[in-house]
Amino acid sequence: MLWRLLVRQRAALALAIAVGLVWTAAKVAVPQLTRLAVDRGISVGDSVGWWAGLIIVAGVITGVFTATRRYLAFRESRLTETRLREQLFNHILSLHVGYHDRAQTGQLMSRSSSDLNQIQAFVVMIPLTVSNIALIMAVIVVMVLTDPLLALVALAPLPFVNWTARRFSQRIHPAVLAVQAEQAQLATVVEESIAGVRVVKGFGAEEVMNARLETEAGDIARVSLDAAALRATYLPLLELLPTLAVVGVLGVGGMQVLNGSLSVGALVAFSFYVALLIWPLRTIAMTVAFAQRAAAALIRVHEVLGAVPAVVDPTDPVPLPPGRAAEIRFEAVEFGYGSEPVLRGLDLHIEAGSSVAIVGATGSGKSTIARLLLRFYDPEHGSIRLGGVDVRDLRLADLRRSVGVVFEDTLLFSDTVAANIAFASPDADLDTIRAAARLAGADEFIGELADGYDTLLGERGYSLSGGQRQRIAIARAIVADPRVLVLDDATSAVDPTKEHEIRDAMRSVMADRTTLIIAHRPATIALAQRVLLLDDGHIVAAGTDEELRRSSARYREVIAAMDDADDARVDQSGAETGWS
Amino acid sequence: MWSTPNVAPEPVDPRQAARVLRRAARFARPYRRSAALAVVFVTMSTATTLIGPLLVRWAIDDGVLAGERSVLAVAVVLYLAIAAVAYLGSRQQYLYVNLAGESFLRDLRIRLFRHLQRQSIDFHDRNKAGVLVSRMTADIESMSELVQWGLLQFVSAALLLTLSFGVLGVLSWQLLIVVLLMFPIIIVASIRFQRDSRLAYLAVRERVGDNLSSLQEGIAGVRVIQAYGREDVQRERFEVSNRALYASHLHSVKVSTWYFGLVEFIGVFATGVVIAVGGWLVSNGQMSVGTVIAVVLLLSSLFEPVQQLSQLYNTVQSSTASLKKIFSILDTEPSVSEASDAVELASRGDLEATGIGFAYRGSARRALDAVSVEIPAGQRLALVGPTGAGKSTLAKLLARLYDPDEGQIRFGGVDLRSATVASLRDRIVVVSQEGFLFSGTVADNIALARPEATRDEIRGALGALGILERLEALPDGLDTEVRERGSRLSAGERQLVSLARVALVDPAVLILDEATSSLDPGTEALIEAALEALMVDRSVVIVAHRLSTVRRADRIAVIDLIDGVGGIVESGSHDELVSFGGRYAALWDAWAASATDSI
Repeated sequence: MLWRLLVRQRAALALAIAVGLVWTAAKVAVPQLTRLAVDRGISVGDSVGWWAGLIIVAGVITGVFTATRRYLAFRESRLTETRLREQLFNHILSLHVGYHDRAQTGQLMSRSSSDLNQIQAFVVMIPLTVSNIALIMAVIVVMVLTDPLLALVALAPLPFVNWTARRFSQRIHPAVLAVQAEQAQLATVVEESIAGVRVVKGFGAEEVMNARLETEAGDIARVSLDAAALRATYLPLLELLPTLAVVGVLGVGGMQVLNGSLSVGALVAFSFYVALLIWPLRTIAMTVAFAQRAAAALIRVHEVLGAVPAVVDPTDPVPLPPGRAAEIRFEAVEFGYGSEPVLRGLDLHIEAGSSVAIVGATGSGKSTIARLLLRFYDPEHGSIRLGGVDVRDLRLADLRRSVGVVFEDTLLFSDTVAANIAFASPDADLDTIRAAARLAGADEFIGELADGYDTLLGERGYSLSGGQRQRIAIARAIVADPRVLVLDDATSAVDPTKEHEIRDAMRSVMADRTTLIIAHRPATIALAQRVLLLDDGHIVAAGTDEELRRSSARYREVIAAMDDADDARVDQSGAETGWS
Repeated sequence: MWSTPNVAPEPVDPRQAARVLRRAARFARPYRRSAALAVVFVTMSTATTLIGPLLVRWAIDDGVLAGERSVLAVAVVLYLAIAAVAYLGSRQQYLYVNLAGESFLRDLRIRLFRHLQRQSIDFHDRNKAGVLVSRMTADIESMSELVQWGLLQFVSAALLLTLSFGVLGVLSWQLLIVVLLMFPIIIVASIRFQRDSRLAYLAVRERVGDNLSSLQEGIAGVRVIQAYGREDVQRERFEVSNRALYASHLHSVKVSTWYFGLVEFIGVFATGVVIAVGGWLVSNGQMSVGTVIAVVLLLSSLFEPVQQLSQLYNTVQSSTASLKKIFSILDTEPSVSEASDAVELASRGDLEATGIGFAYRGSARRALDAVSVEIPAGQRLALVGPTGAGKSTLAKLLARLYDPDEGQIRFGGVDLRSATVASLRDRIVVVSQEGFLFSGTVADNIALARPEATRDEIRGALGALGILERLEALPDGLDTEVRERGSRLSAGERQLVSLARVALVDPAVLILDEATSSLDPGTEALIEAALEALMVDRSVVIVAHRLSTVRRADRIAVIDLIDGVGGIVESGSHDELVSFGGRYAALWDAWAASATDSI
């Protein structure tokens, strides 16, 4: 996968590597030119300017090529990262809801951010590493050709530079992670005691919290000092080793100059070469560590990309028969989220244009019906038909365009109010949007927002109350103009005074559509023509609310339980009866 | 092609920065010994960096070129000794500077947190939790860079730069001039680079934030997106933010690219120039070969410190900005505090409020006016009224989460403002219905207010509420780790734990804000029973949402807005108020008519 992307960028990467090799050549040339300048220029008194000029030319080359290599390496690695992230996001969006139920948002987020960063950090090293390896080889060759003995002296301590650097990055990594883990623990204590400040104050528990924080702060200091001890051990060693090589060259090379077997310039060049090798040796060690981390990250990313979407378009899609409302039919549907079945042989028929409320105890599977209709999941047995067509034979886009759902928890996106309402059809004009908002009882409060329909919502924008969000969601469904409307506890947070108005408006919205109401509260049942009681995984009773209240003991039980939950709202319905 | 970053940096002016840093230095005073030792070792290891080239010069001029083997040998031995000293010095400097720095950060964390804990509720109302958390985390962490290597590097870079110029001047004034001529280029370039790269970095950070939130929206909203078939639009939006991020990355690379090229060029260029000029001086007999070589070796000690110092500028900037924010919190005095002559509250007594007036800080509207209410020991008062009329505000004042602007609240005849905070928190306790838990075990959470409580005391309190069995049935009994915010327990279990917390304190007065949402059906009966047990023999103030609760109260106070200000409009027993035929009676009628209350 990464390989394919890299192959796609092969031209630019090859260029970066080529540029890096020129850089290597220029780098290796500088000490040689210095040697010649010292031996043929300074010592003999010849034209030193000529050599100095060549050094400056080499400087220009290294300067230009180091910049170019850097630019290309970063450009290409960022491109890889960007493309991978796009690929990953597209794939995540196409994965079925069942996958998302199991996956945590945070994990998918870190796949697409920190894991990709680690891959990028590795890709950026590729051109650099190639030219560094070339540099090391070239320097070794030049040294050995000049003087094998001195080369041995100069090179002997250097493998330890690489070894030490590798060892250091292996050991510092867990130490840094430990510091981060301790910081996270401290953050938890801080978050808790600030979010729970009323509890802390109410119980006078400040000292308990202080003691906890002191423990955490002490832990951070302790693990930070552990990390510091590692740095103190390895970093000075990394400086010491090349110095040993320089001293060795000075001693042995100095003797050779005295014996007349080496020139002063070569001695100087050797010292330069030692200095030249330090960084490449250290970065190669880093590259090894980066590659390991990138490989682990790549495996994690691949796990996500390798997940196969379970709910996909059929190979031979059947078009949905034209018309306004469409009938819904569940036949012997069996379904469960885990081993426990939720629906056991559910039969359900909702005629085109009619409205039905599903009533059932908490956990009876009411909301599951809506999710199956949308093909968030496919049933294990049985079939679901919309307008006579099995939903699995429809194109997903067709199916979902014809079913509009209002969920209980409304997710608003970081965009304007208008764009949030026009979610399903981004091209909708403002009149359509306003009309929908008016029907949903949202026009009024939107008008009171600072920028009206252009007010930004979402994480960084204006935050609306639960009831306001639900009204936006209803308007969103109205704009979508679906053939089937599904209301899943859509008005639970709406102010009761408003709820009345909305309910009236909803009737007109429902007029020429098939409507499925998932009733969590008695009040919403009134919207539907017919009521179905869901119990033990199938429909056990059907009729009007009145009929069921009379005939079914179970129905009365379920409704009573809903009332209980609803009782909590009595204080607000006080307001509804003209209390304030 | 890409938009230029428009994020304004927030530079701290030098005088302010100096003040902030001086204050920070006072905080670090206990560690001045470690800090001083760190400076000693930095100086030691920096000095050795400079001795190296001088030894090389001596070895070449007086040893190799003069044919003196002994000089060469001595130089080599000295060089080895210097290397050993450098190694030890730089090892110790790390240890000492980190010891001082980490201790400083630890103290700062503790001090800031203690200060936050001392603040009263109105401080927490005014400040967003996220901001306070980031003061304690991100802002302090941003200083760790400075503490870990920044200060060290500052000392060593400044020292190295000064000493290198000194040595260069001694070796050859001509080459000093040559180097000085090149120096402005590197200084100007470094400053410009730091400025641009900081802007570029801020822009990248902002784009990363955008990209992450777009990513998060896509993942968290995948159900809605799929339900409305919006995948394509969402993909496009993501692509836009992703490409914007790419562009800002590219911009930041461009900003740094020329600089790194330039630095590399200048290094080699300087070598060439020194060799040219030095070579000419050698041929004129004005300089030795060893000197030229020593100066070439010195060049890296001249250019690197400049880069380091300019880099450090950013670190210092962001650290002082963080410190400034932290100090501004430390300078905020808590508004509710203990009087110096505070007295202990009696173990039982009447709670009475007289002529209470109150406005939330920063709000023009008065929340309560002329409110008087009395709760005799052991009685139950229900506060009813529409949302926003001030029921909860009154409840909070009765627990001294805020102090009233006018009037007095007394327990057993003592004004709450002249009571010790500890005795106040023991007598009057707010029972929170949300069941806020802290990470730790169930027992830790119950013993929040009394960490010294024995296991038997805890079990006793649980037994009295009739919930001991239920909590002992948890996987590890009372030692069950509740995880962050108690996520391992159900909502009902969390409420049980928070009730047990109250029982262990054994307060005289309970202030209870009744739940507005439905309870967990599995634990509802248990919670109701525990709550009843908790209320026995205690004074209770209930902010009531259920009329069934109200009916069980000894007295009811109806709170409503009068000309936009909260006040008590009716009070009395249930029967009195119903026969009075006022607002309470109307509410009661409306509720009785719907008659769905199952109790």
